[in-house]
Amino acid sequence: MDNLIMLAFSAFIIENIILSQFLGICPFLGVSTKRSNALGMGLAVLFVMLISSSVTWLLYKYVLEAFNIGYMRTIVFILVIASLVQMVETFLKKVSPALYKALGIYLPLITTNCGVLGVAILNISKEHNFVEMLVYTTFIGLGFLFVIYIFSMLREKLNLAPIPKAFKGAPIALIVAAILAIIFSRFGGII
Amino acid sequence: MNKKDNFVKGIIKENPLFVSLLGMCPSLAVTTSLENAIGMTMGVFFVLVLSNLIISLIMNSGKLAELVKPVRIPVYIVVIATLVTIVEMVMHAFLPSLYFSLGVFIPLIVVNCIILGRAEAFASENKPVDSLIDGAGMALGYGVAIMLISIFREFLGKGTLTIWGDLQLNLTFLFDFLKIEPIAMFVQPVGAFLTFGLILAAITAIANNHKNKIAKEVKNNG
Amino acid sequence: MNKGLISGLVLLGMGLVCGILLSVVNYFTAPRIKEVEDAIKYEALGEFYDLSDFDISEVNGTGDFGTIFILKDKGSDDIQAIVYTVRAQGYSDSGKVEMLIAVNSDLSVEDYKVVSHSETTGFGADIVDNDFNVDSINDLTSFDSVSGVTKTSNAIKTCFNLISQRIAADLGGGLSE
Repeated sequence: MDNLIMLAFSAFIIENIILSQFLGICPFLGVSTKRSNALGMGLAVLFVMLISSSVTWLLYKYVLEAFNIGYMRTIVFILVIASLVQMVETFLKKVSPALYKALGIYLPLITTNCGVLGVAILNISKEHNFVEMLVYTTFIGLGFLFVIYIFSMLREKLNLAPIPKAFKGAPIALIVAAILAIIFSRFGGII
Repeated sequence: MNKKDNFVKGIIKENPLFVSLLGMCPSLAVTTSLENAIGMTMGVFFVLVLSNLIISLIMNSGKLAELVKPVRIPVYIVVIATLVTIVEMVMHAFLPSLYFSLGVFIPLIVVNCIILGRAEAFASENKPVDSLIDGAGMALGYGVAIMLISIFREFLGKGTLTIWGDLQLNLTFLFDFLKIEPIAMFVQPVGAFLTFGLILAAITAIANNHKNKIAKEVKNNG
Repeated sequence: MNKGLISGLVLLGMGLVCGILLSVVNYFTAPRIKEVEDAIKYEALGEFYDLSDFDISEVNGTGDFGTIFILKDKGSDDIQAIVYTVRAQGYSDSGKVEMLIAVNSDLSVEDYKVVSHSETTGFGADIVDNDFNVDSINDLTSFDSVSGVTKTSNAIKTCFNLISQRIAADLGGGLSE
C-alpha cells in the first residue's frame, strides 16, 4: 500500500508528466488559453489515458508477449489509441455537442498527444502490474489536468499584461512554464 | 516550387520546430546533450524521409490511392509506426547507449506531429521525389533546431559539447576562467523551457525586424 | 463488395506487410539486443568472466544469500561456475558487508568483489579492493585479513565459509530455478 502511495505521489508531482517528463507539451501550450478549455482537455486526456493504458497493458501481457512479438508494440498501441479517440469523438458529438465544439481540433489531436502513448509505453517499460498501472496512469492524468489548469489561469492573466512583442504567445508561456518547473522539481526533496 | 527551395524551406522559413511549433515534446527532453540531439535527428530523418516517400508513392498510385483514401490516416500511422519500430530495434541492437539516453522518445517519434503533418499536408498531394526532398529538408530543419537548443543547454549546463560518445569538447576551462561553475539548471526541466522560450523570442524578434525592414523598403520604393 | 470493406481489407493487408517486414528486422536484431540486455543485467559478472562463453541463469537465494548466478557451458547442463551474492555482519550495526564471490566447478575461487558495506572509512572500508589471498573455497588457511580490523575481516571470512558449506550441493545441481 505504501508503495502505491509513493507511486501516486511521484506520478502526480515529482515525475509530473508535463513539467518533468515533457510529455503532452503541445496541448499544454495550445489549449491552456482558457480555463474551461483546459479543464475539458485535461479530463478528456485523463479518460483516454486510463482506457488506452488498460487496454494496451492487457494486449501486451496477453497477446504480444505471449506470441513473442513484443516489437509490434508501437504499431498496436498507437492504433488502439487512434481508435479510442475516434470512439470518444463520436460519443462526445452525441452526448455533449457543446464540449465537442469547444475542444474543436484538439480532440482528434489527443491521438498524437505524446502523453497518452508515452504513459502506455512507460507502464510496460517500468514493468508495472495491473494495479500499479491503474494508479500510475490515474495520477499521471491528474497531474496533467492539475498543471494544465494552473497554467490556464496564469495565461488568462498573462493575456492582460504588457508583454514585449517578441515574447507574446509561446515564448512567455514557456518562460512561465520554466518557473512552474522549478517549483515542481523542488518537491523531489520531500521523500 | 523548384527543388532547392523545397529543400531549404524546411530549414528556415518553415522550420517545423521554431515556426510551426511541432515536435516540442522530444525537443525539450532530448536536448540535454548534443549527442542525444544528433541521435534523435538521425532517427527523425530516417522516418520522415522514408514515410514521405512511401506515402507519396501510395497516394500517387491511382487505383491503390482510391482504395486507401477513406482509411488514409490509419494507413499513414501504420507506415510511420513500422519505420519507427525499425529505428527502435536497430538502435537497441547497435547503438545501445543512445537508445537508453533517448528512452521513451524513440517510439514517441510516431506521434511527432511533424511526420504525420507532412504526410497529410505534402506527401499525399505531391510527387514522390518532391516529397522525399521536403521530408529531408524538414528533418534537417528540425535537427538544426534541436541541435541549437542542445548546444546552449549542454554548454551552459555542463560546460561540455558531446558530439558522439567519447568525442567530446570539454570547454569547462572557459567557466574556470570566469571563476564560476557550469549552470546546472540548464540540463534540468527549467532550463529546457527557459532556453526554448528565449530562443523563440529571439527568433520572433529577428523575424519582426526583418518584416519591418521589408515593409519600410516597400514604402520607400512605392 | 462495398468500398468500406475493401478499404478495411487494404488496411489489414498493409498491417500484415508491415508485420512481416518487422519480423524480418527482428530476426536480425534480436540476438544482438539480447546480448546488450544481458551485458547490463550481468554487468558485475562481466568483470569476472567473458559472458559470451556461458549460458547464465539466476536463482534467488534465501537468508544471507542474494541472487545466485549459475554459469553453464553454452548448450550443455554442466555447471562451470557459480557466482554468489552473500552477506555477513561486520563491525557496523547499520548494514552488512555484501560480496560477489565467483567459484569455479573445481572449487577454485575465480574472483570476488565487495559490493557494499557500512564499515568505517580508513579502517574496515579498506576491505574494498583488498586481496584476501583465497584460492580454493574450502581452504581458508592462507586467508589474508586486513590488519587492525578484525570484525570486518571476519565478515569476509564468514562470506567464504557460508559458500563452502553449500558449494558441493550446489555444484551437484542442488540449486532449483
